[in-house]
Amino acid sequence: MKILLVEDNERVARFVTKGLREAGHTVEHADNGRDGLFLAASEPHDVIVMDRMLPGNIDGLGIIEALRKAGNRTPILILSALDAVDERIKGLRSGGDDYLTKPFAFGELLARVDALGRRSSGSDAGRTLQVGDLRMDLLSRRVTRGGRAITLQPREFKLLEYLMRHANQVVTRTMLLEAVWEYNFDPQTNVVDVHISKLRQKLELDSERPLVRTVRNAGYMLSDHE
Amino acid sequence: MNSWNRLMHSSALTWALGYVLLGLAALAAFAVTLWYTWNVTIYAAREEFLLDDAQRLTAVFAREGVDGLAARINERVAMQIAGERALLLTDSQYHRLAGNLDAWPPHIPQPQGNHAVIANLPGHPAGMGLVPRTLPGGYHLLVGRDLALFLPLERRFAWGLTAAVTFLFAVGVAGALFMRRELLRRVQGIRTTAAAIMAGDLRRRLPAAGSGDELDTLSQTINGMLDHIERLIHGISDVSNSIAHDLRTPLAELRSRLEELTLTRPEPAETFGEIEAAVADLDRVMRIFAALLRLAELDTGARRSGFVQVDAARVAAEVVEFYEPAAEQKGVAFSFQSAGFAPVAGDPVLLAQALSNLIDNSLKCVPERGAIRVRVDKRDDGSVAIEVADNGPGIAAADRPKVTERFFRGDASRGTPGVGLGLSIVDAVAKLHGGVLELLDNHPGLRAQMVLPVTDGRSSR
Repeated sequence: MKILLVEDNERVARFVTKGLREAGHTVEHADNGRDGLFLAASEPHDVIVMDRMLPGNIDGLGIIEALRKAGNRTPILILSALDAVDERIKGLRSGGDDYLTKPFAFGELLARVDALGRRSSGSDAGRTLQVGDLRMDLLSRRVTRGGRAITLQPREFKLLEYLMRHANQVVTRTMLLEAVWEYNFDPQTNVVDVHISKLRQKLELDSERPLVRTVRNAGYMLSDHE
Repeated sequence: MNSWNRLMHSSALTWALGYVLLGLAALAAFAVTLWYTWNVTIYAAREEFLLDDAQRLTAVFAREGVDGLAARINERVAMQIAGERALLLTDSQYHRLAGNLDAWPPHIPQPQGNHAVIANLPGHPAGMGLVPRTLPGGYHLLVGRDLALFLPLERRFAWGLTAAVTFLFAVGVAGALFMRRELLRRVQGIRTTAAAIMAGDLRRRLPAAGSGDELDTLSQTINGMLDHIERLIHGISDVSNSIAHDLRTPLAELRSRLEELTLTRPEPAETFGEIEAAVADLDRVMRIFAALLRLAELDTGARRSGFVQVDAARVAAEVVEFYEPAAEQKGVAFSFQSAGFAPVAGDPVLLAQALSNLIDNSLKCVPERGAIRVRVDKRDDGSVAIEVADNGPGIAAADRPKVTERFFRGDASRGTPGVGLGLSIVDAVAKLHGGVLELLDNHPGLRAQMVLPVTDGRSSR
């Protein structure tokens, strides 16, 4: 994917650029608001990663608003040291698609960038999701693997749906909390892990190939590859 | 000069002087009215007396003729004391026939109708009230009275008035000075205390005698404010100390880890392990920060703007469902009861977080095969109680008031994960919703109850 990073902190920018490039993305970097707006407006990107506080007369939210007003729909991930719920809401209201608080684990950033990029490609419009031999019918809410029907609780269904929509991508625990339970706090116990392991028990019988992989220091990935 | 200036700037004195002036003005208005009424009455009485007398003498003339009248006048003059009265009878040429005046006084003004006139006669410096009459046959009769008779009365009246004014003024000024002194004394007390508090002695309180007057009430209000400020300041310094301590521990670990790496330069595999551990240390610091920021956000009350009607039972059911697998994994009996729709005004995510913290705490401390019971109750007064009860070690009664303090960790929780902010957050969420967090004994275990007020919740705003 082609990613634009607008970030004035040199060290953070270098770290993020390097990480995204290693993950196979093309990265352009602007270190101030004016250049950021110029780059974002002049070239198409798959995802924009935007710091909120920027030098150059225009801050992150200002750029986002300007882009949205000009009809630019590129998914934007906002980076910010401002953590208050109000700030988050303000960020998303200005036209941002996701909000990540600094400091962050790179895995979290990468997972969210991937999720945003995938969304923009708009791959799933159908009524069924399929990953390998796992099928989910969104209308009848039926899940099958091979020919075997899998019975899921509503919340498990939602969890699996999210994993399937982001198949072959890393999703972090925070992303799952936000998307599946709509909680923006961090439970101290490993509750999400337990939910995943319960889901795994239902998806993966002894003879079957594992579908949900744990990605160390990041989260989970539903994948049909080995 | 300086003290004079201060005196003039004293609000008490200004007020008192103002009152004195007001009193004087009232007295002046009263005196003028009194003076006028008194004058009119006296004058009317005096005039009536003269007119009556003139009438009587005229009647004598009509009955007994000029000689009879002259005789009566002479008789009267002989009986009279001093020159207080004036009587004169003349013929048409104003030649004296009888009376105690030598001659008809010149320049007597012509009376308007049946009234007396006032004129100055020699030997009567205060003036005389006179009634001239022309009798049949051209005779002239003059009846008069010396006004000096009334002078002492008038003088006494004026004296009385002056005395009253002086007295009022003196009392007013003395009262003003006294009031000022009293007020200054009490204000001085307040100032001394305030100065001591500013100098750092936060335990000082304003003198309040309990008399219930305005200054006393003010002192009590300010004392209440000072109590609150003292608590806040202690809270802040406690928190700063705790932050310093709780952040210092992981930071110290981190530092030694990194320093050791630079000193020993171990194999890459070990190095990376250490770096990962270092990142975990940092994550712990970050979690503490996140919790502190959340608390600060809760304390400002800013989140109230996002309040909506929430069904507490539903929020609780979802959190319980969220924790069910974790409880199951630990072999804990986890139950949920609710009395149906339980409306509160609030923030569903915050309520979920608070309940999640309570369940989290219980999960951490109940033994294997323990039990946790979550219940949502509607009380008779409309308030909603969200309760998490467990059969873990509970919280010692002495510790209960302290557990909601930031970073407090009971002995029982030593060695378990957590930063000691969980219950502080629950407490803050309860308070934000206008409610309270109650910690009760579950015999054994802990029964933590968030009681949220009636649905509109506006009473707390």
